[in-house]
Amino acid sequence: MKKIFLTLLPLIALLFTACDQDSNYLIYNDNAYIQFGPAESRIYTTSYNLSDTTKLQTFYYEEAQVTQDTVFFDIYAIGGTSTVDRPFTLVQENVAGTENAVAGEDYFAFTDAKVKGNYVIKAGEVHTLVPVVLLRSAKLKTSTQTLKFSVVENDNFKVGELTNNWRKVIFSDRLSRPNAWDANTAKYYLGDYSVVKHRFMIDTTGDKWNEEFIVYIKTDFSMLTFYKNTVKMALVNYNNAHPGNPLKDENGVVVAFP
Amino acid sequence: MKKYNLILLITLALIAHSCFEDHTNYDYLDHEVISVKGIDASYNKVSMVDSLNITPTVSSSDLKAEFDYFWGIYETSVQGSAPKVDTISKELSLKYLIRQPAKTWVLVFGAKNKNTGYTKLITSTINVGTQFTRGWYVLKNEGNQSDLDLFLTPTSFEPASTVPNVYSFVNNRKLDGKGLGMNFESTYKSFVTGVNANTRAFFIFTDNDASIVNTNTMKEIKNFGQCFYTAPAVKSPGFIMVGSMADYFINNGQLHSIYTMSSNNGIFGSIQMRDAVNSPYYLSKYYITTSVNDPIFFDETSSSFISAGGAGTMLTAVTDAAGTAMSANKNNKNLLFMGISNTGSTTLAGVAVLADKTNPQLKILSTITPKVSAFKMVNDTLLSTSKLYNATKYAANIGDETLLYFVVGNEVWSRNLTNKFEQLQYKVPAGETITFIKHRKYTTTTEPAYAYNFIMVGSTDGTNYSIRMFNKSAGNLAGTPSVVLTGKGQATDVFYLSPSVNYTTYPNTY
Repeated sequence: MKKIFLTLLPLIALLFTACDQDSNYLIYNDNAYIQFGPAESRIYTTSYNLSDTTKLQTFYYEEAQVTQDTVFFDIYAIGGTSTVDRPFTLVQENVAGTENAVAGEDYFAFTDAKVKGNYVIKAGEVHTLVPVVLLRSAKLKTSTQTLKFSVVENDNFKVGELTNNWRKVIFSDRLSRPNAWDANTAKYYLGDYSVVKHRFMIDTTGDKWNEEFIVYIKTDFSMLTFYKNTVKMALVNYNNAHPGNPLKDENGVVVAFP
Repeated sequence: MKKYNLILLITLALIAHSCFEDHTNYDYLDHEVISVKGIDASYNKVSMVDSLNITPTVSSSDLKAEFDYFWGIYETSVQGSAPKVDTISKELSLKYLIRQPAKTWVLVFGAKNKNTGYTKLITSTINVGTQFTRGWYVLKNEGNQSDLDLFLTPTSFEPASTVPNVYSFVNNRKLDGKGLGMNFESTYKSFVTGVNANTRAFFIFTDNDASIVNTNTMKEIKNFGQCFYTAPAVKSPGFIMVGSMADYFINNGQLHSIYTMSSNNGIFGSIQMRDAVNSPYYLSKYYITTSVNDPIFFDETSSSFISAGGAGTMLTAVTDAAGTAMSANKNNKNLLFMGISNTGSTTLAGVAVLADKTNPQLKILSTITPKVSAFKMVNDTLLSTSKLYNATKYAANIGDETLLYFVVGNEVWSRNLTNKFEQLQYKVPAGETITFIKHRKYTTTTEPAYAYNFIMVGSTDGTNYSIRMFNKSAGNLAGTPSVVLTGKGQATDVFYLSPSVNYTTYPNTY
């Protein structure tokens, strides 16, 4: 009996301790890592974890005197803040099957003194915007350049998630698909992108249909529907005026809106 | 020792057991009944003018009851946010100046017995208005300009005084053109309060202009051009009306819409195409719709009944029902009239009068089941000797009797849709011309003094208008009108507005 009692007593005592609340937190205190990510407003929305990996840019709408443009990406340090500034290192990666941008010719090299100082996580911070300065080279009138780049390990950071250690800019000086003409917009409103369709929409409405414009009309369903219906009707009218010869894009595909 | 161990163990078990909370209800007293008297079911108040002065009597079956009180008020018909109760008093007697914008609100009174915690809640409707939110509005034209006259109705639908030309009085302009009609949208989206919100609005349209007006202030929200993303080149409204999922604007026979099932800013969209190849079309001014059905229009170009969703690019073709007397599509007819004869999602019915395009002498009265997927017409070919054959204006009897009212000369007639019996109902005085007839009813229970069911006959002597509103018995007009509105010009429509009227109050039809 005494044995049973001695067994039960600790068990009962244990039951009471189960009510205690553990107020100690486990604090991450390991190496600092760095990786790209979505905009700050979306970092807690898991569906945006892989957003902004690729950005599209064109000099098409800019005045002739504009010779460079800057694209920004969000990057995050993991492992807390530091009391000192922490530079991070970017390197270009070649992408097979595309025309890869040339440092110094199509963009400022990441080691260029003009931009190098921007690639730093400031003391006390864990986030910054990575500026990528694109140059308006003559060949952009006839070609599209791809610049893929990654963060690599240095004295301050190890590389974070592999899926977010890189970013890509695809740019030209020709009419090209704005970022806002994304998969959802294509599926429900504008259809697949083509330069011919894009030009047709610009000619029809007199609007630029650039990133800023599409982002703006997407803020209002009725306005987006208005523009969709306007270009759709214009396309029908065009095809009616050209019987047997409907509008086709640069790949020979008949232009269509959903 | 063994005994002590056992005692200790049992004690510990009891201590542990004492942690349980007893939720058992041992209250076997009778259910408390709290009675509240002295609060009306509804109040009609003018914002910034009237106050609520209420002292209810509260009693309880608990003779020792002591009460805490509170009064609150909250908004109804809110979209995009949850209404919050605004506490306005914690005293038994309420003295509160109404500051809320004109619309329907809910007043809440609570009495909580401090001894038992039991609370009785009473709610009451507050119809907050302004001088513009209640009365008969008459759309009239003088020459080639149109305006609204307002007949104020402070105690019942009987007009007590008149505010002539109230539209131009507030907006400093008249509408161009001759009045066609007006409709009411209680959930029109506008920024009149500074944010995009439901706004009680009149759609007023003439043959050459349109205006969307905030009924709380009578101020114009949008003029004709502002109604569209791109103002149409031709100003020729047919109607603006409220459908089940969209507001519709027909201009120059072309359909524009605002899809109201998602966020919008109160601007009508692009022209909807007739079909995938953008065939030409021209919609008639006659239509049928309710708050639960897509509308039925008539394309005068192709002689086809047709429908439309609010978000689509194209109009929706209707499909003939089995056994229909005539196809709804390409039937080679002109539509002389179409209106709702019965409401309800399953009982919706209409009546139409058509004339053959090839042989205009061939006229048909058709009762229709206006279902987009099964459109059925039951036809009655009109004898040239019938009165209806020569009618110039029509009004469907909406849901009461199976009658169609119509005008021949200066006479109002009715025709029984079942036995074809035609009967003279009213003759306007010599020298007057009938400008419209309409059946409208307001079947309110919250403000019974304002309930009505009238056949309305508008007429003019060339200078002044008269609108005579008749009660009816078994469809037959009373010998004398219950209400007569008179003013300058020619009246083309009349609309009764109150804070309780919403977009479903009157069927949307011509």
